[in-house]
Amino acid sequence: MTNGEPLIVVDKLVKRYGSATVLDDINLELDAGQVLVVIGPSGSGKSTLLRCLAALEPIQQGTIRIDGTLAAKGDGAGVPGPDRASLKALRDKVGMVFQSFNLFPHLTVMENITLAPRRVRGMAPQEADALAIDLLRRVGLEDKRDVHPERLSGGQQQRAAIARALAMNPRVMLFDEVTSALDPELVGEVLRTMRQLAEQGMTMLVVTHEMGFARDVADDVVFMDNGQIIERSPPAQIFAQPKEARTRAFLERLLEREGGR
Amino acid sequence: MGDFQFAKILGYFPDLVRGVGITLELGLISASMGLALGLVLALMKYSRHPLLYWPATVYIEFFRTTPPLVQIVWLYYGLPLLTGFDLGALGAAAVALGLNIAAFYAEILRAGIIQVHRTQWQAARVLGLDLKDTLRFVILPQALRNVLPPMGTTTIYLIKDTALASAIGTPELLRIGQLIAVETFRPVEALTIVAVFYFAITYPVALLMGKMESRLKAARV
Repeated sequence: MTNGEPLIVVDKLVKRYGSATVLDDINLELDAGQVLVVIGPSGSGKSTLLRCLAALEPIQQGTIRIDGTLAAKGDGAGVPGPDRASLKALRDKVGMVFQSFNLFPHLTVMENITLAPRRVRGMAPQEADALAIDLLRRVGLEDKRDVHPERLSGGQQQRAAIARALAMNPRVMLFDEVTSALDPELVGEVLRTMRQLAEQGMTMLVVTHEMGFARDVADDVVFMDNGQIIERSPPAQIFAQPKEARTRAFLERLLEREGGR
Repeated sequence: MGDFQFAKILGYFPDLVRGVGITLELGLISASMGLALGLVLALMKYSRHPLLYWPATVYIEFFRTTPPLVQIVWLYYGLPLLTGFDLGALGAAAVALGLNIAAFYAEILRAGIIQVHRTQWQAARVLGLDLKDTLRFVILPQALRNVLPPMGTTTIYLIKDTALASAIGTPELLRIGQLIAVETFRPVEALTIVAVFYFAITYPVALLMGKMESRLKAARV
């Protein structure tokens, strides 16, 4: 790591859609190797935060730095955003997995994984194939390499999507409600893959409603509401004695629902 | 009335085959030109950037709403008058048909691109693919697959529209048929034979499209 700076530094980030402020003065730091779980009601800005980190959304104010690279810079004050080169550098460092998998349906699992290494990194086909096979083994899909995504279950698709993101060897993995679209019995296999990844030291930012995962894997849990970070605490603390009333209310509603299942 | 006399026509078989050759040439040139230009127009219109969107829209509407015959005649007689640049009969017909079909291909391809979910663009972007690779490897293969049937139908229309080139004397299939009709005084027989030849050209195209479609469907499931 460069001069002890955290891997991710978000400084005074403001994001608006038209006149609606979706992210309001977000400050966030994350050290390499840490797992940060972001929770909060829908519409609280969790997913938008991830999308800003992946440079999928322009921001209005503040800065985002990932591994020393300027990922985004608000242009509210007339300052230019990051140039093409730094956007490219950023996308080299960030991997993202989506709620809806977003595998390329016309390509096999193998082709999904090798496309970016070959086209972006200029990797030789054999090298890319070897990398893909290795990743597929890690996510337990080595027998699905020549299958198209439609033939896979949701859980398998999501694991393939994780392998695809890992193929670019990112410094940070962003997970945007990756189990929300899955049938309940398929959630476990995806979470297991994510757990393994965390154990291997991957820096992860995870938006999820899976409180069990947050409890076991997160170094810190962030609670967001109305576009603001309300509270950041280690999981043991936030689940036992949340500092903020809003956090407590949210967790109570969530646990009530979980108890009812 | 008398009977049909096809034997007379069949003596012109070599001429008819030459006509088929010209028709295929016209179809091939205008289809490839139309595809390349149509793709550019589709992307310009999809972009929604006013400097790209509006020129493409004006182009498409202009060529969709005026008869291809007028476009052919205009390019053959009008262009040399205006610019001194003479494409010749075959060239003028091929270019006019290419410019015309591009407008139709463009609208179909744009519909195909719209059908590809926005999240596919995002997934490609997060992986670091540039615009060119995103289009080439992610968006266009899916877009084309979405619109294969209308692309096929439009191409068949194009092949039949090459007959319009006869109006400026291009020696393609219909023109040869007309000449045979005049020489033999058997227009019905001549044009019937011509129709059979057109069928022989277009039907394989239809078959090929059908095959590609079912192949793609099989690959999906």
